[in-house]
Amino acid sequence: MNARRLLYRLALAVIGLALTCAAADREHATPIRELVLAPQPGGSGQSVAQVERGRDLLILARSSAGNEMWLQVTVLAQPGTRQQEATGWAPAKLAIAMSSPNAADIIFGAAVDSEIEAEKPKGRRSAPDDAQRLYQRVAQFFPDTDSGREALWRAADIQWQLDRARGKKPIDETAMQNVIRKLPGTRYADLAAYALLENQLCGDWKGQAACPAQEAEIYERYAREHPRSPKAAEALYNAAWRTGVIADIYRVRNNKEQSEASHNRALALAQELANQFPQAEWKYRAETLIYKMQKNIPLYGTSE
Amino acid sequence: MALKQKAAILGAACLVLLLSAVPGHAAEKEHGTVIGDADIYVAPDFKAQRVGRATRGRDIFLIERSKIDNKDWAHVLATIQEGLLQPREISGWVDGRLVVTVSTPNADQIIYGEAVDSEHQQELRGGRQKADQDAMRLYYRLYEYFPGSPLAAESLWRAADLRWQLEKSGVFSRPSAREMDANSRSQIDDETMRELIKKFPGTRWAQLGAYDLLDNKICGDWKGEAKCPEKESDMYEHYAHEYPQSPKAPEALYNAAWRQAVLVDMYAKERGKADKARKKSLDIIQELTTKYTESDWRARGVQLRYLLEQNLPVYGQ
Repeated sequence: MNARRLLYRLALAVIGLALTCAAADREHATPIRELVLAPQPGGSGQSVAQVERGRDLLILARSSAGNEMWLQVTVLAQPGTRQQEATGWAPAKLAIAMSSPNAADIIFGAAVDSEIEAEKPKGRRSAPDDAQRLYQRVAQFFPDTDSGREALWRAADIQWQLDRARGKKPIDETAMQNVIRKLPGTRYADLAAYALLENQLCGDWKGQAACPAQEAEIYERYAREHPRSPKAAEALYNAAWRTGVIADIYRVRNNKEQSEASHNRALALAQELANQFPQAEWKYRAETLIYKMQKNIPLYGTSE
Repeated sequence: MALKQKAAILGAACLVLLLSAVPGHAAEKEHGTVIGDADIYVAPDFKAQRVGRATRGRDIFLIERSKIDNKDWAHVLATIQEGLLQPREISGWVDGRLVVTVSTPNADQIIYGEAVDSEHQQELRGGRQKADQDAMRLYYRLYEYFPGSPLAAESLWRAADLRWQLEKSGVFSRPSAREMDANSRSQIDDETMRELIKKFPGTRWAQLGAYDLLDNKICGDWKGEAKCPEKESDMYEHYAHEYPQSPKAPEALYNAAWRQAVLVDMYAKERGKADKARKKSLDIIQELTTKYTESDWRARGVQLRYLLEQNLPVYGQ
């Protein structure tokens, strides 16, 4: 009985391995338009499945029908999603295979298209998810190109924004950690590390100094660890602003000593920002912050 | 007689002095604005009657500054507008710390920083209401007070663009925006944009302004007719060639190429016209992809070329 079960498991493992090897050998593709899988080349018969832009397709066979090329594909399910796998035929012109000429640019262009569509007030509802998947495919199919690296970051960023908009707390860090792991030392890794800070922020401060103090520390540490990051100036500003807020909180509580210490620290951080990033927009926000602190204009309850 | 003459001369002198003192007094007033919403009181006292509120970026005249009970006060003349009421001029006292005038050190940078802050605030969920209007006024004040500042041109652009976007959303939300002809809808007021182009010609800010102005020329609903995409394609191509250094040039070229691709679909039953539009679109894409290799628009151009080559429809997708 045990031997039979063992044999059964072994057979399953062999089949799984065979499928994986086949998947590794076979070419991938992705649709740049929503398409319908047909049971046979030519598109006749009842549709098998509807496939969204950017889904990962595994090409099983190619055939021509009615003067057109068709691909037999399996739509792969993304791990950790409710996506269903399905197999059927799709018109080759809608599914861009990795080996197609200019495939990276075409898929990347379709992703940018969807991203722009997502920003329109009456844009296609699926556009943000489409953009995310299309970028993901560029990163997956062309990992060692500039487009692939940019796409890896953009896919992670869109996923992050979508999770936030959908109220997920904490936001799933997998995609961002992946950017850091795959692109160490790049601006993309710096941007991903900045995004991850969001999961460490308090919700409502409830007028307590503990939250802004913790957040100021997080932002300052980021600025020190990633001085060349496009987000370094913003992080320093966030640290300065929060430290200024702490000064307000202590002042309201008549804790003059701590208020003064925080006030001076905030001024020093804002000054550092203004000196270190003379070209950045944040420099001017730092100048305004310095002015407000010098004039004792309260920061808490005002814009960040 | 001599005494009368002396008195007359003295009187005339007094009159001249008095008359010259009036404009002199006005000139002494400093222009300025507030970098936080400032309640206006009849007297320098937070318990005094409140007569209005000066919101960020409002133009004010500083009459005098005063320190009372260790608090800074500013006596100002402000033009305020509350709700839908007509703007009115009122004078009163505001928290002096919020008043930044032309003589405040680094005033241009402080106003600019507050404007950026307001713009950022507008983008935050739960951010301050009408923060975009605060930003628009603050940017304009910077340009107005400091036209020679290195930040002036960008500030005027930002003010003009914020105003443009605000008016555009209004104009394009009206039923008349669905009319095909651009003249059938009210036009977006281009006064500030024209001022920008006139004051800072040849700059990237003027080029961006010129791109915004095209909004007043585009059709509403095309209603499936070819004349709109034809006209708009020409317009965008003309822009891209007139301002090849503009940050909007690749976008303009893409828009021109995309409209030609739409014409290919529209002329499905007129092969000659369809072929001409296809060639035109491909030529523009070629220009886009070779001239602007670093832009996202290049990748969109490559995608558009693929759609054309595969005879995939563009219009309505």
